[in-house]
Amino acid sequence: MSTVVSQTPVEDVIRSKIVEALKPSTLEIYNDSHLHSHHEAMRGGTSRETHFRLVITSAAFKSKMQPARHRMVYSLLKEEMERPGGIHALQLRTRTLEEEGRQKEREKQEQGEMIADVEQL
Amino acid sequence: MSQVHDITDEASFHRYLDNLPSNSLAVLNFHTPWAAPCKQMSSVVSTLADSYPLTSPSLVSFFSINAEELPDISEQYDVAVVPFLVLLRDKKVLETLSGSDAAKVRDAVERHAGKGTVTTAKAEIPPLQKVKAPTAADANGVTETANSQDQLPSQSNPATTGASTADGETSSSEKAALFARLDKLVSAAPVMLFMKGTPSEPRCGFSRQVVSLLRGRGVRYGFFNILADEEVRQGLKEYSDWPTFPQLYVDKELVGGLDIVSCSLSRELAVLASPITLSANGSSCR
Repeated sequence: MSTVVSQTPVEDVIRSKIVEALKPSTLEIYNDSHLHSHHEAMRGGTSRETHFRLVITSAAFKSKMQPARHRMVYSLLKEEMERPGGIHALQLRTRTLEEEGRQKEREKQEQGEMIADVEQL
Repeated sequence: MSQVHDITDEASFHRYLDNLPSNSLAVLNFHTPWAAPCKQMSSVVSTLADSYPLTSPSLVSFFSINAEELPDISEQYDVAVVPFLVLLRDKKVLETLSGSDAAKVRDAVERHAGKGTVTTAKAEIPPLQKVKAPTAADANGVTETANSQDQLPSQSNPATTGASTADGETSSSEKAALFARLDKLVSAAPVMLFMKGTPSEPRCGFSRQVVSLLRGRGVRYGFFNILADEEVRQGLKEYSDWPTFPQLYVDKELVGGLDIVSCSLSRELAVLASPITLSANGSSCR
């Protein structure tokens, strides 16, 4: 049986660590490295996994303020962030199930308003 | 803690010098009170003086001389520009310094009198400040306070932690000194942004976005360019347990990076609104 070596080792680590620690109901991982590969700080680097954007919904975030939630994620990924050539930037959206629900409601409302506006034209 | 003696007349100046022991160092700060670089240098000198203990007999003493009001003394020391520093021993000129380089002044004094050993809250020499004229009003009609904190990259943090501690103690007291410095930096303004680059020249997309968000909301803030100071850059990560920049602090508390700032602003939280209304004269940073 042959095993395929992952092309995205860092993303794999991110996923497994977050799933294990936070048991998220939603976990979206976006690799934005290509947007930053020309930056000065990235010169001489070969990794294609340097900039990530994570959207995480988890009950573990309940009753925690945003800085505390971000710190939880940072500490899970501490090793990857400290390693040279590892994660250089991490954008985070951290919410609870209720907050995710409310956000979706708001978005639906805004879309509804937009459609209504269009119909009025 | 030594003080800077303000000289008001020639006679008392000569009396002071006569009474100094022949091996002690006298630091003369020639200034004119209305010139900005002089204000800066006077502050540097008084901070420096603070770090030298008062001893009897005096080993080092500091004098402030208004060059305009005491022209004879100025002529005696060939003062042509201000600020102008003269270092004397036994009434002989050891060295003179003109211009506003705080690091050079400290170096010169330390060379002749040894390092200051008193650690007080004021023991640190404030970094050079360049006060730029406010930028043109943006659409909201609010200007961004542009007090910049351009630190000379070569200016290292004066670790005035006492020259006689053992190695192990030095590093923990160095860290304490660093944290004390960071403590002051985060409270330099009601809203403080630690970023890569400066608001007029951000060196990172995330920093640029935070600057733009703050400007869009008319928030007055102080800023610090962490690319110019590696010690602060690494120190803040530990101090705040936060690995990335930009970092925004409101009333000394870390609010977070771009994600949290944009989230807070879009939800119109009052968190950032209060410092704007409370601070009447805008923010300034050391």
